[in-house]
Amino acid sequence: MASQVATPTSLQTPTTSSSTSLSSPALSPSSPAQLSPDDVELLAKLEEQNRLLETDSKSLRSMNGSRRNSGSSLVSSSSASSNLSHLEEDTWILWGRIVNEWEEVRKKKEKQLKDLVRKGIPHHFRAIVWQLLCNAQNMPIKDQYSELLKMTSPCEKLIRRDIARTYPEHEFFKEKDSLGQEVLFNVMKAYSLVDREVGYCQGSAFIVGLLLMQMPEEEAFCVFVKLMQDYRLRELFKPSMAELGLCMYQFESMIQEQLPELHMHFQAQSFHTSMYASSWFLTIFLTSYPLPVATRIFDIFMCEGLEIVFRVGLAILQMNQAELIQLDMEGMLQHFQKVIPHQFDSGPDKVIQAAYQVKYNAKKMKKLEKEYTTIKTKEMEEQVEIKRLRTENRLLKQRIDTLEKESASLADRLIQGQVTRAQEAEENYLVKRELATVKQQSEEATAQLERARKTIRQLQQQPQAKGPPRFSEESVLQLEKELVQARLKEAESHCALKEMQDKILDMEKRNSSLPDDTNVARLQEELIGVKLREAEALTGLKELRQQVRDLEEHWQRHLARTASRWKDSPKKNTLSELQDELMSVRLREAEVQAELRETRQRLLEMETQNQIHSNQLRRAEQESHCLQERVKMLTTQNKDLNVQLQEIKRRQAEIECKSKEEVMAVRLREADNIAAMAELQQQISELEIQKEEGKVQGQLNHTDSSQYIRDLKDQISELKQEICCLKGQKGLVSQPSFDGIHIVNHYMGVGESYQSSDDDGAKDPDLQSLQPRSGGRIRLRAKLEDTDSDEDDGDALRLSVPQSKSTTV
Amino acid sequence: METIWLYQFRLIVIGDSTVGKSCLIRRFTEGRFAQVSDPTVGVDFFSRLVEIEPGKRIKLQIWDTAGQERFRSITRAYYRNSVGGLLLFDITNRRSFQNVHNWLEEARSHVQPHSIVFLLVGHKCDLEAQRQVTQHEAEKLAGAYGMRYVETSARDAINVEKAFVDLTREIFELVRSGDIQIQDGWEGVKSGFVPNMVHSSEEVTKGSRQCFC
Repeated sequence: MASQVATPTSLQTPTTSSSTSLSSPALSPSSPAQLSPDDVELLAKLEEQNRLLETDSKSLRSMNGSRRNSGSSLVSSSSASSNLSHLEEDTWILWGRIVNEWEEVRKKKEKQLKDLVRKGIPHHFRAIVWQLLCNAQNMPIKDQYSELLKMTSPCEKLIRRDIARTYPEHEFFKEKDSLGQEVLFNVMKAYSLVDREVGYCQGSAFIVGLLLMQMPEEEAFCVFVKLMQDYRLRELFKPSMAELGLCMYQFESMIQEQLPELHMHFQAQSFHTSMYASSWFLTIFLTSYPLPVATRIFDIFMCEGLEIVFRVGLAILQMNQAELIQLDMEGMLQHFQKVIPHQFDSGPDKVIQAAYQVKYNAKKMKKLEKEYTTIKTKEMEEQVEIKRLRTENRLLKQRIDTLEKESASLADRLIQGQVTRAQEAEENYLVKRELATVKQQSEEATAQLERARKTIRQLQQQPQAKGPPRFSEESVLQLEKELVQARLKEAESHCALKEMQDKILDMEKRNSSLPDDTNVARLQEELIGVKLREAEALTGLKELRQQVRDLEEHWQRHLARTASRWKDSPKKNTLSELQDELMSVRLREAEVQAELRETRQRLLEMETQNQIHSNQLRRAEQESHCLQERVKMLTTQNKDLNVQLQEIKRRQAEIECKSKEEVMAVRLREADNIAAMAELQQQISELEIQKEEGKVQGQLNHTDSSQYIRDLKDQISELKQEICCLKGQKGLVSQPSFDGIHIVNHYMGVGESYQSSDDDGAKDPDLQSLQPRSGGRIRLRAKLEDTDSDEDDGDALRLSVPQSKSTTV
Repeated sequence: METIWLYQFRLIVIGDSTVGKSCLIRRFTEGRFAQVSDPTVGVDFFSRLVEIEPGKRIKLQIWDTAGQERFRSITRAYYRNSVGGLLLFDITNRRSFQNVHNWLEEARSHVQPHSIVFLLVGHKCDLEAQRQVTQHEAEKLAGAYGMRYVETSARDAINVEKAFVDLTREIFELVRSGDIQIQDGWEGVKSGFVPNMVHSSEEVTKGSRQCFC
């Protein structure tokens, strides 16, 4: 390279020579051919400044001062008064020429430019060369920069927080509120306003920081905008970061192709590319390597784009392959963290050379890009599908829950209905039993009635004065009473029997209505329908299972194929892989559909059960209604009967009272009669005593005695008549009250006996014949309290002394 | 010295950007506090041995994740193989506390069919003057999610060990009771090796690296 440049002796000659060697005239705004001594001085001053800058490269302000003029042609040949070495001088001159003849060089000497860039751009030239490489001069957006700084960006807060963490070791950015941090903030903010979609992404600050180390804000901003737009960086930093995934994918396939052993080792250790390579792509090695190395790589990046990252990455892996293969995942990560960053402290040339040994096939990268997008879209679709199925599943499960609850409540109601039915069946049974007993009673009552009737007929047929008429009369009365009672009972039992029969009819009606023919038919239909549905569901299930089995086979085949995927070259099996993946997705789909169908089936089952239960419930409710009505009827009838019974009882009580009263009255009369009779008896006794006295006196007074005796006898006979009357009444009283017939007879019997029995010699045969009767009477008298005629059975009317005893009343 | 550990647990540390995940982990694994450090671009990896009881050592592999939301597409691949997690928020940043819910949803949706044992951590508790989230409400939230709550400070080294050791103990109990099982192809829990078996790679690297037993 150095041979191209003539040894510089003065300032002018190289420039003129360079200018004369040019064919294109309009290269730089200020033509170097017009150098005047003033210009020479200016150039000298510039060289001085440059030298100073070389030694103090951290001061951006002075760089700013110098770099502002970098848009114009910078005379790079400062070899006259520089400390640079020969080689460096040459490169400087070379680069100067390149910068001056940029358009030409870019078009015609591209390869050489590339080689030069690979060797590294001199620090001095970086700013201008980078800007040239990405065509960042004279961008319209540069003018907007100051405007943008005045605006506020939504990402400001985020940017603020990250600024302090960007290049924290670097002096330019170290201090808080340092100029470095401020300009970094400005550029990031301005970019976030310009590109709303990307906004601010962590990691981009490192790239901007590097730019700011070389050039002023506006230019760094412009270069950054260009980088984001033209160098795929924008895609990398977008919120979706899809490009990063693509880069990982591409990088991985490169490893698989060019370092197959290492690739297998990574696979075995589950060591993913993103674990070490994310920051390589996002920050172009700026966080992985110290600045000198990274800056060299960045030079090439400016020239050739993201390709260099792939190359360098692979070169690094290649160089460390031996160690990495021995390490496990953790060891590898630590290797990347600790060992690799310092591998190239001596100089990056080695790795860059190795990078260019790496095979990079742009067409293949394109193909991989397409593959990756298809894979990603499939994944997205699957995710969407899975989400949808999950929500559907959840909804179906909710529905199943509610249906199950409904079904449970219906089952409860059904059970209650059945319980009430059982109770009513029990009551039915009890009523039937009552009916049976009542029937039995009525039969017995009818039998008794028959017997009673028979006896009555027998008694009626017999002659009337059979025995003591009183006796038969009594028994007839009794029988009549019994007859009345029996008739009453019969009537009652007839009623009861009728009611029971009615009840039985109703029950039978109800019982017959229960297993209704139409109901049975309906139930059978329902059953058939349910069974049909079940059969359908089963067939559907079988089909699905068959599908699932088919798909599983495919899946197994697919797995077998993928197991050997890493060994085959990806090219051969891509199509079949895609097919297999399609099948696998279908498999999953089928499985999910099967689940869906199952849940639907359950749903159907629940619904049919629901129907059946509601039917049963309706029927049970109807039955319970009928039974309740029956019960009401029976209770009212019962009440009526009770009322009637009470009335009859009342009447009976009244009659009894009346009879008791009559009995009492008769008894009273009897008592009175007895009292009267006692008095008369007394009088009789007195009179008899008088008679005795008279007799005695008569004996004494013989003449008047017979007349006196006849008077006395007449009195006595009158008195006796009275007594007899009273006795008759008495006798009547002593009989039972209803014997009206007997009264007459007694009276007649008494009348006959009132013939004087004092005629001792004239004892009538009637009198004598009456004696037993009187005796009988006296016998009757013996019942009365007042007289103690026990001794005087036949001699009551003889006025003998012994009678005086008896008259002691 | 041979390192013998009973189990190896893989943990993941998630939470909003700048809550202090990297700081907390560095304090725990390297014992130092860096006032400033690079923002995590993608994921970072650390490991350390803890002794939960005398003679019982557990190896922890810790993934440090980027907090910015757009990095979730990268970080969500790491949930699946993690058995435990620290869910961090900054007690001086109310927003980060409100986003705890989102992080939990994110983790749960990407970890199925496994599950992660989480610990809610309120970080930067040394900045009491700027506190925007009370301990009480954080404890309530933790209780609602069925996890414990610890307040930590990497700067003052408050509860840093406690947070990790508590979570490890919780996971250890679950592993011992069988609620969490070692499965093939799942990196969350791995069983330790006996001294007689030689895992050359592990020993070579471990011997020179963290050995905090």
